[in-house]
Amino acid sequence: MININEWLQSNTFHHEQFSDLPQLIKAKEKQGLKISLCIPTLNEEKTIGKEVVLFKSELQDRYPLLDEIAVIDSGSTDRTLEIAASFGADVYKSAEILPVMGFKRGKGENLWKAIYQLQGDIIVYVDADIKNIHPRFVYGIVAPLIYQSEIKYVKAFYDRPLALSQGIRPTGGGRVTEILVRPLFSLFFPELTAIIQPLSGEYAVRREVLERIPFPIGYGVETSHLIDVYYEYGLEAFAQTDLDKRVHRHQETRDLGKMSFGILRTFCKRLKDRGIVANLPELTANLRQFQALDNSYEQVIHEIYEEERPPMLKIVAYREKIGIDH
Amino acid sequence: MNNIDIEKIISRVHSLPGELVPFREMLLANVVMISEIPAPTFGEQERISFLEQRFNEYGLMNCCTDEVGNAQAILPGTDNLQAILLTAHADTPFPASENHTCTVDVEKIYCPGVADNSLGLALLATLPTILEGLGIRLQSKLLLLGTSRSLDQGNQCGIRFFLTNSRYPVKSAIVVEGIPLGRLHYRSMASFGGMISCTIDRKVNHKSAIEILNQIIYQLGRLTLPVESHTDLVLGAVSGGASYKIPARHAQLKFQLRSDDDQVVIDVTGQINSMLEEMGKEQGVSLHLEDIARTQAGGLDSSHPIVAKTRQVMTALGIQPQKSIYSPIITSYVEHEIPAIGLGLTYGDNIHYGDEYIEIDPIITGIAQLIGALMAIDGACHD
Repeated sequence: MININEWLQSNTFHHEQFSDLPQLIKAKEKQGLKISLCIPTLNEEKTIGKEVVLFKSELQDRYPLLDEIAVIDSGSTDRTLEIAASFGADVYKSAEILPVMGFKRGKGENLWKAIYQLQGDIIVYVDADIKNIHPRFVYGIVAPLIYQSEIKYVKAFYDRPLALSQGIRPTGGGRVTEILVRPLFSLFFPELTAIIQPLSGEYAVRREVLERIPFPIGYGVETSHLIDVYYEYGLEAFAQTDLDKRVHRHQETRDLGKMSFGILRTFCKRLKDRGIVANLPELTANLRQFQALDNSYEQVIHEIYEEERPPMLKIVAYREKIGIDH
Repeated sequence: MNNIDIEKIISRVHSLPGELVPFREMLLANVVMISEIPAPTFGEQERISFLEQRFNEYGLMNCCTDEVGNAQAILPGTDNLQAILLTAHADTPFPASENHTCTVDVEKIYCPGVADNSLGLALLATLPTILEGLGIRLQSKLLLLGTSRSLDQGNQCGIRFFLTNSRYPVKSAIVVEGIPLGRLHYRSMASFGGMISCTIDRKVNHKSAIEILNQIIYQLGRLTLPVESHTDLVLGAVSGGASYKIPARHAQLKFQLRSDDDQVVIDVTGQINSMLEEMGKEQGVSLHLEDIARTQAGGLDSSHPIVAKTRQVMTALGIQPQKSIYSPIITSYVEHEIPAIGLGLTYGDNIHYGDEYIEIDPIITGIAQLIGALMAIDGACHD
């Protein structure tokens, strides 16, 4: 196990370290890198316009950091696609990418199909529900990949208080991170506890890594990435960047319960597949929650399947597209 | 400026909307980023810093923030013999605690302060790039100024400071506001913005301060205002009291008196003072009139070349100039005898409310109008 404190010192950044965009672009161009931005969406009309306007203007027109900006959508019924297209994003319906593989509804599905559809050597994933969007959400996590070839996967983390009465502050993830994911990592993958916000939806990854890992289509995609990349490349392949504050939708506790259930299923699958815990029983896909109705209580059952897409390199159409099978 | 010159400008103006389309996202991005930085009057520093950073990124000359917090920069012209000032105020009436999250849809941008005046400030941040992209270079140097402390009790402190202390003699000025497109302001009314405070000494008087304020409002309504000088009294805001069950100890009324005659404002203000003095004789009632802002009447005639040429530019773009020619944004220039006009960039609504918005499509026409006006003024400066 490597020294977590040393890793935190060397592989944890702040976005302000990378605010010299002309220098960053010079380094990108020198390496001949292509960078794609993928924004997975499902009914995000309130925030998508702002994200596309900002990224296109600041990181394509003004500073050409991004070679493409793509919205990959799971079937929005609002104006998400129309708005994104009107401000210049490439808009794709997830169901129409790799149709031979069918369509599954879920954010992980969109992220996975982005690998096939987009051109970048680096793919940056940014959630569409960020209210305080800013170019740093992209350049902050892309820059470590441009400047340090040994880094392969960069996660974002947030919430740096502006003033502190003490020198020490809690470095917190969200509720699901602190109650579920970090305790699980502490038990089974202690080095991964160094990732301050393992569930953040903003990360930049080299294609060579993305195409080799499976993608759960639902809640477990971020957790599975960390475990799979960690197994393959070790903690040294990771970096994380403090992006200060992120304002997004508040989620109800019941919804967090569903998220936790999906993550836990993904996690258990990995424990089993890697032989860490033997004899796990067949896991149910039913999450049971309860609600009060006057003086009685009733059970609500949610079916949450955490299907997984295989590593993209195993898909024939992808191999043909990138010329491996020729 | 002769007729041939203005015809050339009008001819160019016709093609500008099409040429401006590639710059739309850049402007909108600046609108979003500026809008999301809170900038209450006297608290504009972060927004001003953003603007100065933009000026620096473009490589403008003399980028700096002055001692009252205005961001300024110079875009050099071809001969630099004259200076045209282009300003937009940076502050908004919204407190920093207001949710400043922008929403961008296909037609509109929603955000507190987006119309007044994030769009105007964003135009300042984007214009150097636009002019370069269009291959337009003025003869005059262009002074770009994002002003601080403009609204309400700021009393246009930022622009007044600049005009009093600037090292560059300003030949003409354009004041940019987000909305409405069609605004062509070139005169300032005389005005007095005041705040009447009523305080009750509970030991000797059990009336509510709101009751006294009500009497004051009744008396203000009975003032005779001269019609011929377009004199108007606007009751803008009231506040007072602490609870529904306790007589208010303190209450305030903010109002503005405006007229196109300076003397009328002086006279009516005198009447208000006398009225308050009389009402303040009641035991335990203390009344105080405080100045918020004053402006003086003046400005350009409708036949002034700057006004006439700008009107031609607007007409060429299909913009119908509004009938109102008065705005307090002109007053500082009147005080310094600098010819100035105020222009709007697009349509919008709900100004100073949380659901304030601007329309996206007309912005292109608004910018074309502004560039046309700049070219016309530049030509007029060199006549």
